[in-house]
Amino acid sequence: MKNLRRALLILLALSMLLTMVACGNNTPAASTAPEEKKDTPPAAEPKKEFLIGMSQCNLGEPWRVAMNDQIAAAAAQYPEFKVVFSDAAQDNSKQVADVENFIQQKVDLLIISPNEAKPLTAVVKKAYDAGIPVIVLDRKVEGDAYTSFIGGDNKLIGKKAGEYVAKVLGEKGGNVVEVKGLEGATPQQERHDGFLEGIASNPNVKIIASQNCDWLRDKAITVMEAMLQANKDIDVVYGHNDPAAEGAYIAAKNAGREKEMIYIGIDALPTPDGGIKSVMEGRISATYVYPTGGKDAIESAYRLLVKGETLEKNVTLGTIEVTKDNAAEIYKQFGGK
Amino acid sequence: MSTKRLEDKLNSGLAGKLGQIKVPDIIKRSQSFFGLILVVLAASIFCVRDGENLFLNPVNIANVVRSVSENGIMAIGMTLVILIGGIDLSVGAILGLTATAAADLMMHRAFGFGTTVIAVLLLGIAFGFFNGLISTKLSVQAFIVTLASMSIARGLARFWSGGIGIPITYGNEPNLAPQAYGILAERIWGVPVPAICFLVLGIIFSILLKSTRFGRYVYAIGGNETAAHLSGIGINRVKIAIFTISGALCAIAGMIHAAQLSQGSPNDGIGYELNAIAAVAIGGTSLAGGKGTMVGTLVGALILGILDNMLGLKNVNNNLQLVVKGVIIIIAVVLQKERKAD
Repeated sequence: MKNLRRALLILLALSMLLTMVACGNNTPAASTAPEEKKDTPPAAEPKKEFLIGMSQCNLGEPWRVAMNDQIAAAAAQYPEFKVVFSDAAQDNSKQVADVENFIQQKVDLLIISPNEAKPLTAVVKKAYDAGIPVIVLDRKVEGDAYTSFIGGDNKLIGKKAGEYVAKVLGEKGGNVVEVKGLEGATPQQERHDGFLEGIASNPNVKIIASQNCDWLRDKAITVMEAMLQANKDIDVVYGHNDPAAEGAYIAAKNAGREKEMIYIGIDALPTPDGGIKSVMEGRISATYVYPTGGKDAIESAYRLLVKGETLEKNVTLGTIEVTKDNAAEIYKQFGGK
Repeated sequence: MSTKRLEDKLNSGLAGKLGQIKVPDIIKRSQSFFGLILVVLAASIFCVRDGENLFLNPVNIANVVRSVSENGIMAIGMTLVILIGGIDLSVGAILGLTATAAADLMMHRAFGFGTTVIAVLLLGIAFGFFNGLISTKLSVQAFIVTLASMSIARGLARFWSGGIGIPITYGNEPNLAPQAYGILAERIWGVPVPAICFLVLGIIFSILLKSTRFGRYVYAIGGNETAAHLSGIGINRVKIAIFTISGALCAIAGMIHAAQLSQGSPNDGIGYELNAIAAVAIGGTSLAGGKGTMVGTLVGALILGILDNMLGLKNVNNNLQLVVKGVIIIIAVVLQKERKAD
């Protein structure tokens, strides 16, 4: 069947070329003004369209899917903004290449949520030094070669979670197992440190075990199973995000021990599989709204690119504690269906 | 419907008419070069914005050759392993382990540049030697041995560093890394140092394969192991040497990786073995062993890198990128079968 194979070769070539043409995002028409300096107002002729590159570190976490969705929804309000997304699938090298590609395309703004701080610092600096303004979301880079950082206050959230646990456990205190996020990411360290501050007021509350689950539910199930085996007396599960808490709940349920402990999560996404719904359905006891900052990033982009304002270097977003008492109301407030 | 009738139907239809187009013999033989030209052409044509060619400019080409270097270096070792009919699934894990080791030795144990390079190379060699030894002397299939050592290397890396990445900062104090190591992240006259390493290693092993006795042994073993054995070639020695070389090359890739990301992380390199195998397959090496060239692999690695770059510059959805890659690999292997049949 030699002819068939030769045909495949030619069909391959054609289909590849067609794929490129069809699937690639058509870049906007030629713009007039040359590249501006990062923080100063634009020159006399305003640009008609802006290309924004959003480098996401992974889309395995529902929270990050929500971040991208919120960015897209916010950008849809501004016809002059075109946002293109890249997904690094948790690989630092891939994210470096993604940012390099954005630099090549001379994007007007880079929004990035870096996989890890250190490996991405150099390439973000490259973009910043090349005159591309940079908005960093949620996870930090090192140094200060960026225009604006927008993130929640993970330390505060951890502290509030700790204070909740200290209050709920009362004088007797209790044992806490911690299902942490991804080791190299700053939010995980801050949520841990904040939690320790929060429980400091109650010396009878102890963290007896702590494992990473990389923010993922399936990994959380596995690590929780191990911690259940090793610890017979658990009162609280502190998950660094809602998928971690949910995974721990599933593991406990499989072992028939889910009623022995309460579950704390973070994120409180208003989605059907999110933390708020979980609180309403009685699995998670308390979760904390961790805003993605997607909408704020686009609003900042508008202020910087179109109105020519200077952005604050560090923007901290607030949080809300979600428990049985206010879950339904918060769910509706954030547009949950 | 009988096969003959099916064939006739296909041959007389559109597929058949396309197949009648005479693909020149030279293109069939050097199919990987043809693929490279095709991919470069496609990238040059489609990655244009505002009249500027995003692909064909020095910075982007430098980015591309840098990004293929680690995979390319591992693919060199993988070519040798596949040529003798084996496979090495541990390359990604060894990269992670050696990257972690390099960072730890320099940052926590005050190793200098030379001592770090030697120590990390020895680590890679040790793993490679282990792979070779177990697969030959204990007659365990290469697939199984390297699958196991992938797990061992990954676990060791995580245990060594406590599961976290070890950041690399340069300086003169004992708890900082030697400045010389930073060369692996630099560019010389715009050419990234990893690309220079890849090129040099590629040339060395290309010559090794084509023009030395060792290279002839490799092809002999891969082509017909029994015949090679009967003609007096020390099969086990060659195989152990090849796995050891693969381990050493992974160590080099690991050191480059750590320098590029300024950290040695035990979680890096996951899935890298698939890219290395893909480069070898696209380069025209048969996974059954005995047939293929080093140059083909180098071209295969480039094709993968240019594909990634092109899809990235066009902002194609990451998931579609994976689909395209998979399709390309299948078709490349199918075409290589045709070459064997000719």
